[in-house]
Parts: sequence; structure tokens; C-alpha cells
Amino acid sequence: MDILQEISDNLQKGQVSKVGILVKQALEDKIDVKTILGSLIEGMGVVGRRFRDGEIYVPEVLIAARAMYAGLDLIRPLLVQTGATYIGKVVIGTVKGDLHDIGKNLVKMMMEGAGFEVIDLGRDVSPEKFVEAVKANQPDIVGMSALITTTMVNMKDTIEALKRANLRDKVIVMVGGAPVTERFAAEIGADSYAKDADTAVAKAKALISNKR
Amino acid sequence: MNSRERIISAINHREPDRTPLDLGGFDFTGIHVSSLHILEVALGLKKPNEPVKVVDLVQMLGEIDEKLRETLEIDTIPLRGQKNYFGFKNENWKPWTFFDGTPLLVPEKFNTIPDKEGNIYQYPQGDTSALPCVKMPKDGFYFDDVDRSKPIDEESLNVEDQLEECKLLTDEELSYYEKESKRLFEETNYAITFPSGVSGTNLGDSFWIPGWSLKNPRGIRNQEEWYISLITRKDFIRDVNAKMTEIGIENLKLLHQAVGERIQVIMISSTDFGAQNGLLYPKESYQELFKPFHKRINDWVHRNTTWKTLIHSCGSDYDIIPDFIEAGFDILNPVQISAAKMEPERLKKEFGDHIVFWGGGINTQTTFPFGTPQEVEEEVKKNISIFGEGGGFVYATVHDIQARIPLENLLALFRAVNDVRGIKVQGL
Ligand code: B12
Repeated sequence: MDILQEISDNLQKGQVSKVGILVKQALEDKIDVKTILGSLIEGMGVVGRRFRDGEIYVPEVLIAARAMYAGLDLIRPLLVQTGATYIGKVVIGTVKGDLHDIGKNLVKMMMEGAGFEVIDLGRDVSPEKFVEAVKANQPDIVGMSALITTTMVNMKDTIEALKRANLRDKVIVMVGGAPVTERFAAEIGADSYAKDADTAVAKAKALISNKR
Repeated sequence: MNSRERIISAINHREPDRTPLDLGGFDFTGIHVSSLHILEVALGLKKPNEPVKVVDLVQMLGEIDEKLRETLEIDTIPLRGQKNYFGFKNENWKPWTFFDGTPLLVPEKFNTIPDKEGNIYQYPQGDTSALPCVKMPKDGFYFDDVDRSKPIDEESLNVEDQLEECKLLTDEELSYYEKESKRLFEETNYAITFPSGVSGTNLGDSFWIPGWSLKNPRGIRNQEEWYISLITRKDFIRDVNAKMTEIGIENLKLLHQAVGERIQVIMISSTDFGAQNGLLYPKESYQELFKPFHKRINDWVHRNTTWKTLIHSCGSDYDIIPDFIEAGFDILNPVQISAAKMEPERLKKEFGDHIVFWGGGINTQTTFPFGTPQEVEEEVKKNISIFGEGGGFVYATVHDIQARIPLENLLALFRAVNDVRGIKVQGL
């Protein structure tokens, strides 16, 4: 089998060390790093769609993501050298007072797996911390996750804080998490909402190409 | 019927004289201190400066006192343990003002001193020289777990480390339960719940994985790592669950000797198996790693006691409710009707003859926090009429009543419940 296909397949199966070995092999075979990256992206894309469609579950996605990082970590330095650019930069975090981070982590993994650069602020991220991170990193997208009705409102506070810092127009704001809806996103002035990680990636890509 | 008879009838699938109401019978049918205080003040049961006692120090749930229980005609009373999540006793209460100004009472060993940013930390066994195990961010509503997990060394992973906090009930605890259960049974007519369950039966609850009562937790102590382990370390998880089950059944025996038939419902499992749109884990994970042990535990209870067993699992559990039933659970909570495939009609029709719904009383993700009082009333009445038919239902909201629920909605909920039950409550 084609080694690139093998990378993608093993990623989907969550074979962490196998993916590392195969990526090393591919590099030795002088396969272009961007092509190798392509195989990781392809594999992670399949994982995202299968998760969206309820064919696989959270633990399987987390394991596949570990396999993806086993490959990605090897080629990242080389990608930087070749001057290959990310398709966009994302700052992401779970909002203040909320510890639920599984969903946020899945979104982050899928985005990295799709070629975005992602800066993860973790959980319990205050509006001020989001603002600081936007200043420091100048991302294209700010992603916020909230899982509880009591913390959802902190998304609005963050958007207000971005406005006060004159940064709101410079970024695309995406929101998500179990209780969040399209309507709520519109009400608080976010640019986009996504129901799952796979859709989040698709929307992020579309929003960025619109912006540019 | 008195409260106890009413609940016994409902959980045996016989229609009681009126819908039973639970508030505070479990730590997932409780009410956040802020909402509780607002409600009690509005009902004239507390003065604005009168404190609320915190009975769950992580989720920050308030104590339902006798005045409120009588006023709202609540049918349950919990038999609580003496120790909390951090492993110290809830005693010697002291005042503390919550971030939003709510006056509270907390145990002596509860740390109220904030750090520079205003965050509050708690410590295992109340020992402030240890690393903190949970943190409440300034202006937050709950405590969050502080990740104290260490990188996992597969070679040295063992069941004993993973179950360090899983212990047999002590003589002191048992005599306390014996005395308390007698007091509650003889002095009240409420149905007695056992909210914490016994150590050992609550297999794989991610809430407990971090080991908050331990100063140096070993094994798998990070929630994400735990979820992954359900796939990658199946044998280990199976061994852990087997050992827990052994301890759990031993504890059930001890508890039974102490409380006899005085309690009516015991919490067995509060592991979440569902997420918003479907299961959190593959169905096979439940079937292979949990179900056989749950069955052993439930069988023991049914063979030896008159207690009913309760499983709490959030999210969309639809796909494994048949497995819960086969595993012998009598009662399901919180019945998250807002998750996929969890509509009241569907659940009642498909599973109503086989499992009791303890919850599902209102959609806590939309209607309750964000709807109008009228929408709240309508939904409460509709859900009662669907779930209540023929018994098999105890009214409770989906999970605890959180903070930031508008007062009008809090009042509307209890007004609607009591309307249906033909009770007029002053102040509602
Ligand atoms: C697992 C879980 C926990 C774990 C969290 C572990 C962790 N590290 O994350 C634990 C046990 C610790 C926990 C604690 C609590 N929880 Co909880 N929890 C859940 C549960 C069962 C599943 C959440 C989950 O991980 N889902 C899986 C992931 C993959 O899905 P997701 O997060 O929705 O993310 C997807 C999408 O939403 C989207 N997405 C997510 N984020 C983003 C961001 C962007 C930018 C975009 C575009 C998309 C996007 O993509 C993701 C992947 O597809 C839910 C039930 C539910 N219905 O969701 C309750 C739930 C969220 N919890 C709830 C509550 C109340 C709590 C507690 C307060 C009390 C308690 N004991 O349960 C504490 C919270 C304390 C705190 N400070 O936060 C309630 C909230 C109710 C409400 N009124 O809103 C829920 C809904 C349960 C219920 N029955 O009511 N919980």
C-alpha cells in the first residue's frame, strides 16, 4: 500500500507509534512534507466526519488525535523551514467559570488536523485573557466553548471586551458547546456557530476565505 | 398518602395520589446556593442576610431545610454522609459570603482565603500544606478540578493506586448511618434517599477520577486520560471495576446491617454515558466494562433489600437505556430531555414500564434559564402529564437547579408542580 494511505489509515485507527514510524519513513523516502501533512489532514478529516455521523465516539477521536500529533510533531519544524504557511490562525478556549474542555479539545485537534495553527488557552478563560491572546497572536479566528447555561453569558462578555479593545473587527468569532445555538450566537454578536468539530472546521475555512 | 408512601408507590410503577416532588434528595436534584437563597427570601422563609448551608461543596448546592421542604411539599429527605469530597467532615460551620453576595455557611476546614486574583482553592482533607485539588475562579459558580495527574507509567499502573480512596465503611460511619436513618425514619414521613451511595459501586465516574480527598493521587487521575483508557486499557479498567464491585457489595452489606429497610432509594452510579447528540463512549464500552458489574451490584440489592437502585447519567443515553434496564437499575436520572432522542413521549412509551424517571421535569438548557415564566409552567405541566401516567415518575428538574435562573422562573416551576398536585403555596 502507498505509504501516505498507510499514514492516513493508521491515524484513523489511532496507532500512535505506527504513525510516527511511517512519517519518519516517508521523510527518509524524501516525500515532500506538505504531501505528508496532506495525509494527516486526510486521515483526521475522515475521523471528524465519522464522529459527526455518530460512527465513532469521544475516546476514539482523542486516540486518533494522539496519532495525528505523533506525525505532526515530526514534520512541524520542517514545515516552518519550507515556509509552508498555515491556512489560518485560531485562538481557542473554554470560557470563564467552565471546566468542560473535551469538546473544545476536539475542535482544536480537528482544526490542527486541517492545517490551522491553534493557540489553546485552556479552560476557565476570562474575557481579559482572550483579549490579551488576541493582541499577542493576532489570530484570524477566536473560538469559544461553553457547556453550561450559567457560563454561556461569558461569551457575550468576551465579545464586549474585544469591542472595547478595538479588536472585534479584526477577528472572526466562533462559538460552540452543548447549550449554544445558532440563535444565541447571533444574539451575542458572534460570527458563527458550529454544532460539532467537523462542521467547525468547514465553517472556519469558509469564513477565512471570505475574509481574505 | 404520606410522602414516603407516595414515593414508594411511584417507584413501584403504581400511580400515587399525586406526583411526588424531589428537591435535594440527591446531589444532582439539588439547587445552587444562589438560586436557593433567592427562592427562600422570595417565599419569606429567610431574611436577606440569613445564610444558606452548603451541602455539596463542589457544585455549591444548598441545604433544603425543613421550612422549605414543608412549604414546597417536597417528598424526599437525604441521608447524607458526614464527610465531603475533600475527605473532611462537614462540621463547625462558619460564615462565608459567596462571590455574588449570597450569605453562606461552610465547614470549618473549608478554605475561604482567596489568592491574588481572587480565586478560591480547596485542599485534600482540608490540609492547606498539600497541593490544592479544586479551584473556584473569582466570580465563578462552582469548583473546578485542578489537574494533579502525573504522566502514566504503564508498567507501574495498578489497581490499588487507582482505588486508594475506595474504602470499607468504618464503624463510626456505620453507627452514624444507623442513628440518622432511625431519626429520619421515625421522626419524618419523607422518603429517605441515600445520595452519595457507598464507596465502590460508582464505577468510573469522571467526577471522582481526580481523587480530591487524596494528597498524592496515583494512577489515572486525568479525565481525558480516563476516557481514552476505556479503549486503550480495557483490561486495567475491567480489573479496577471488578475490585470496586467487590468493595461496593461489601459496603452495601455493611450499610444494610446499619440502616435496614429505612432507606428507599440508593444511588449506585453517577457516571455520565451521554453527550448532547449521542453517547459519550461506544455502546460496547458500557456493555463490556460496566454492565456486568452493575448487574452484580443491582442483583445484590434486589436479593437482599427493598431498596430501589438509581443510575444518574447525563446526556443522550437513549441507545443504552435498554442496557441500564437489563443491568437491573430501577431508576434513571437526570433524564436529559434536551439531548438527542430523549423526548419525554418517546422515553415514556419505550421504557416507561421498565424504568422509573426521576427527573426530566424541565429543560434546563433552554426553557428554565431563558424562557418566560409562562413557558416554564406550560412545559412543567406537559412533562408531568407525560411522565406521570401510571406512576414511574418522581418530579425533578434535569440535573441541579443552577445559578442565574430568573426568580420568576423558579417560582413558576414550583407553582406549576403544585398546581398539578392541587396544592396552593403561599407566595408562589
Ligand atoms: C462530561 C461532562 C462533565 C465532565 C467534564 C469533563 C471535562 N474535562 O470536560 C464533568 C463530570 C467534570 C462535568 C462537570 C460538571 N458539569 Co457537566 N457534563 C458533561 C457531559 C455529560 C458531556 C459533555 C461533553 O464532554 N460532551 C462531549 C463533547 C465532544 O461535546 P461538546 O462539548 O458539546 O462539544 C462538541 C460541540 O458542542 C462543538 N463545540 C464545542 N465547543 C466548541 C467551540 C467552538 C468554537 C465551536 C465552533 C464548536 C464547539 O464541537 C464539539 C465536538 O463535536 C454534559 C452533558 C451534555 N448534554 O453535553 C454535562 C453538562 C454539560 N454538565 C452539566 C453540569 C451542570 C455540570 C456541573 C456544573 C455539575 C455536574 N456535577 O455535572 C459541573 C461543572 C463544573 C464547572 N465549573 O464547569 C450540565 C449543564 C446544564 C446546564 N444548565 O447548562 C450538562 C448539560 C449535564 C446535564 N444533564 O444537564 N461535566
